[in-house]
Amino acid sequence: MAQAGKGKLNYRCPSCFMRELDIDMFFDADKGEYYCIRCEYTGTEEEVLKANQLARFRYRDMLKRFDFDALED
Amino acid sequence: MDKLILNIIHRPEMVPEYAEKVTGHGKAEDLGRKTLLTESLDIFKIQQECAHKNGLKTTIQMTYASLFNDEAVSLAKEHHEKYGDEIALTLLGLPCEQFRQKYKTKDFCIWMFSMEDKMAIVDDVFGKFYERFGSYPESTGSYYMDAELINYIKGKYPMVKCAVATCWEEGPKAYHTCNNSWYTFMDGGPWAPWIPSKVNTHAPAANEEEDSGIVAIPHLSRDLIACYDGNGSNFGTHPQNVLRGMIYDTSTWEYPYLYNLIDQYRHLARYNNGYAYNMMFVGPGWMNKMGRWEAPYELLLKSYEDGCAYYGKLKKEGKLVDMTMAEFAGHYRAVKGYTEPECALWRDILYGSEKQLFWYCDPFMRACVNMDQGGAIVDLRPYAAKLEWPVGIGTPHIQDASYPFLIQEKYRAGYFTHYAGEGTVRSAKLCWNGEEVDLCQCRTKAHFSQEGKTRKLTLDPVEIAFAGGLRIKVQTVLSFPEGESVIRIERKLLESSDPAEKVTINEYMVGCYGTTEYTEDMSSLTLSLRAGDTVETLPYEYRCRELSLAGAEEAACVLPPIRTRVSLAAEGADKAGYVKEGYAFSPMFTIGYTGTLSEKEGFTTWLRLERAN
Repeated sequence: MAQAGKGKLNYRCPSCFMRELDIDMFFDADKGEYYCIRCEYTGTEEEVLKANQLARFRYRDMLKRFDFDALED
Repeated sequence: MDKLILNIIHRPEMVPEYAEKVTGHGKAEDLGRKTLLTESLDIFKIQQECAHKNGLKTTIQMTYASLFNDEAVSLAKEHHEKYGDEIALTLLGLPCEQFRQKYKTKDFCIWMFSMEDKMAIVDDVFGKFYERFGSYPESTGSYYMDAELINYIKGKYPMVKCAVATCWEEGPKAYHTCNNSWYTFMDGGPWAPWIPSKVNTHAPAANEEEDSGIVAIPHLSRDLIACYDGNGSNFGTHPQNVLRGMIYDTSTWEYPYLYNLIDQYRHLARYNNGYAYNMMFVGPGWMNKMGRWEAPYELLLKSYEDGCAYYGKLKKEGKLVDMTMAEFAGHYRAVKGYTEPECALWRDILYGSEKQLFWYCDPFMRACVNMDQGGAIVDLRPYAAKLEWPVGIGTPHIQDASYPFLIQEKYRAGYFTHYAGEGTVRSAKLCWNGEEVDLCQCRTKAHFSQEGKTRKLTLDPVEIAFAGGLRIKVQTVLSFPEGESVIRIERKLLESSDPAEKVTINEYMVGCYGTTEYTEDMSSLTLSLRAGDTVETLPYEYRCRELSLAGAEEAACVLPPIRTRVSLAAEGADKAGYVKEGYAFSPMFTIGYTGTLSEKEGFTTWLRLERAN
């Protein structure tokens, strides 16, 4: 098996991202999966994208637009 | 009408910090690689175009590497003539073949070099700038500019009037996010422009004598809740940082959070006599053709175009004024006095919590008040000490440029600890019939007002229900009298279910000192109580001792390692001061007061910060 490389995009480990760690993943072409060298996460591109979506759970106002002019102090 | 002032800064960084690592994956390091140089300059051109087509002027911060590039120099001159852009000089972007050959190092952060090297590099870079442009720059900057560096630059190049001088709350959190590999430790500074003191960049100057001669601006305008709580590099006026935080809709590529962030900064004019400020500074590595993490190039580009378009829209609506850095420095000095604080009652715009933090910064302190903890002070930096803290090789703090804290709830716990010991916080407990309730358990909201030169934070009253049946309503008012190095906290017992009952109030501050999560040696600290001629002292020996003194006029702690003296004074019924030493498992100190409260009565404390000599 040859060495791992980066994928077409430079995905970070979603598990580490959720604990505020930006860790680039490597792509194992033989297995068709990304893997994290810091933790135990592995996943296909589809799984990584799903996990990234999950990581947004805390951003409940991510898509809300605020009107500060209407706010009272 | 209040207007947001905007600085947009671009740097032609011929070897972007990130692009070399990302685009060069699988290649041996080659700083002179032609494709890298070409791409870098192309990104700079795109960034300039994004600003100009939205009617916005920029400050072009030439890097050392770009001074060797004729096209970059020519573009800067052309854009200065055509758009009024300022040609400035950054101390970022040092790495290039010429720099490596000359200085024989891979260091690239100016504040980490030895003083001798700092002076040599500054003279080299400023000299090269003069050679290319026939004059010296009026603005400069880096991620951090230490006081010794600023003093040297100002002494030798007095025309410099503005500098990018810190990244707000970029310290241990950023280090951790980068897998403990990104050594930018610079927590504890102002989030908005300030005049640095000659002694410590983070601590604003209190008067002309302390004035370093420049106006400092922060690197980006950052979310004052999200960056305090989490990684600073995800939540600022840097569109690609917002993508880094994954704060966008993957199907529509929309990111209203970025606009909310800008708008909340506009809103801060309400707390600062009509003045509000934003800074956007995106290095070219964030717009490289290979994409950045999950974001493809097209999204990186779109986000920058959208960011500039939003600023441009605000300008067209008369809500924004774009300035160059040098123009801004003049404006800042015209509208701000030395002791005038910067205030920010910041609302959560991301997590849906409705939480508020109040940030206060003046030449004597930076303080954070958390309304989700009943108005507790959860971060406190004693600028009154104007702490000498040289950084760089050859100093005691090679990388650590953070201003030390007395209270930092994230690094040294806050109200909550794991069932033993105490964490740093300034709060109060209400006690009755053997029960104790900390105001940290009471979520509330705050209202800002200014009375003369005092900024006030009036909190909505909170209700405390004791299991024994007594219910009381308590209100907290925090006042920050300008220029006095004091925080006054008034508690009022507004209502009681049994007016005949008294409750005990325990006003306390648990503190320590440091710049990281890990404890420092507390052995040199001294606690004391004073009442008239009576002074009782307690040298810190980790022995869990306590002292109390009825009628005390002051409870204090002196912290020689950070040249700080912190004290509490109080007014109220049955007041008694106390100090607590702490122990090895809980290496904190406590200063506080107890007293009693009946319905309609109040208890007031003054927290004072001073330099300890």
